[in-house]
Amino acid sequence: MLEVAEVRSGYGRLEILQGVSLSVAPGTIVGVIGPNGAGKSTLLKTIFGYLAPYAGRITFENRSLVGLRPDQMLKLGAGFVAQAGGLFAEMTVHENLLLGGYDLASRRELAESVDAAYERFPRLRERRRQPAGSLSGGEQRALALARALVTRPRLLLLDEPSAALAPRFIDEVYAAIEALNRSGLALLIVEQNVEMILSVAHRVFVLDLGTNAFDGAPAELRQTDRIRRLYLGESRTESYAG
Amino acid sequence: MESLLEFLIQGIVLGGLYALFAVGLTLIFGVLNVINVAHGEFFAVGGYILFCALVLLHLPAVLGVIASGLGAFLLGLAVYPLLIAPLNRRLGRRPAGSLYLVLTLGLSTFMQSSLLAIGGGDYRQVPPLVRGILEIGPTGVSYQRVLVLVVATILLAALFAFLRWHRQGLAVRAVSQNPEAAQAMGIHLARIFSLTLALGVALAGVGGALMAPLFNVYPAVGFPLTIKAFAITILGGMGNLAGALLASLIIGVAESMVVIVVPSQWQNGVAFLVMITVLLLRPQGLLGRAAVR
Repeated sequence: MLEVAEVRSGYGRLEILQGVSLSVAPGTIVGVIGPNGAGKSTLLKTIFGYLAPYAGRITFENRSLVGLRPDQMLKLGAGFVAQAGGLFAEMTVHENLLLGGYDLASRRELAESVDAAYERFPRLRERRRQPAGSLSGGEQRALALARALVTRPRLLLLDEPSAALAPRFIDEVYAAIEALNRSGLALLIVEQNVEMILSVAHRVFVLDLGTNAFDGAPAELRQTDRIRRLYLGESRTESYAG
Repeated sequence: MESLLEFLIQGIVLGGLYALFAVGLTLIFGVLNVINVAHGEFFAVGGYILFCALVLLHLPAVLGVIASGLGAFLLGLAVYPLLIAPLNRRLGRRPAGSLYLVLTLGLSTFMQSSLLAIGGGDYRQVPPLVRGILEIGPTGVSYQRVLVLVVATILLAALFAFLRWHRQGLAVRAVSQNPEAAQAMGIHLARIFSLTLALGVALAGVGGALMAPLFNVYPAVGFPLTIKAFAITILGGMGNLAGALLASLIIGVAESMVVIVVPSQWQNGVAFLVMITVLLLRPQGLLGRAAVR
């Protein structure tokens, strides 16, 4: 579905990604983990068109994404949820959802999609007239997810959905992510919360200093000593013992 | 008492004109982060188009005012793709506000020179769009001034309704709050920037047309208004549309009423005295700096 091959990207002359490759199959959850500065968010921004890659190939359903702007990605069936949700804090919940369907051609389709979002996240309907910035952290993430679903994407890119959330909200957000995946949506999730992403992902990529450090199933990753030490916080002794 | 009422009415009319001008300037700043020094030249363009429509082509006044707004709108549509976007592309990012200030100062001077070259430096007289005096108790106000207030009120109400309920209006507000997230909604930033600039200067163009019969028309007619609009924008809170509206009325009424207590030579200084005071006491303005809500 999504293929990223040998992508180099960054900010001006600062090259962050130095030949990263990954792929997302239809209907799967793919996690990307790695230390701060590894290039995880840069990878998502490059895939979604915020950054133009210096080199490499990015295709979505066999169509090249290189050179496309973020607003064009939506038309292809991909959605993006920024770190902390990227909400329009001073606008109401309902206005945020309407903007999620900015690209939809008909008003009827928009109304139906927004209604479906309220069905999926009933608490948002109660808060529909509140400014998005006044919602709790968990509700804000729910709104960000609901808004990204209004155009019914086939692939959703999520940048650290658990960042700065209390544990009970993290569970709620991941329950929603799993439910979305069960309905057929493919997700590419960049995450700092390694345990959480390993519990839901079908495949995991580890980035380190802008390059691929691991690619495989979560169970394989748990068996890799170096990765366990670096990303699961296990001690050297335990790792050697294991 | 009569003169107090008269000055109050004139102040409200003046406030309506300032609002038409300053709300457009504030809208542009709130969305593009550009302080448009050339805003007054679009006011002048509006006046010149009305002059051409009424005096040279003998068209009906309504058509003349619509043409003024439309002309300024179309010129405004060209500013983003021809000036601002190339600058952003060249730098690889959105530059500091000061660079936009210099850019639009250049545009202002170029537009003034162009108007001078095409229309000459003479004061062009435009006949009133409506004639007569509206009697209000013991005093009266010309229908031309009433027209300024009525049209300003209608246009500003339409702008606020557009921003509140229209799909593109929501997009304008979204871009002002979070341009990156707006792109993820499928919003084409360049289109929204162009639309916002065009809408903002179209308001100035209509203002120029409505005021042409009162001010006459010459190339630099809008420049003093631009400077005053900066004071209004700061008073209201940079980028705050409701603040700009409120500040316009305050400055309009204050300027009009101040001549009751001080010589009229002080009239033009009032706005700037208020601006300096506000900057010193409340730098964020009356309603605070905010995105276009």
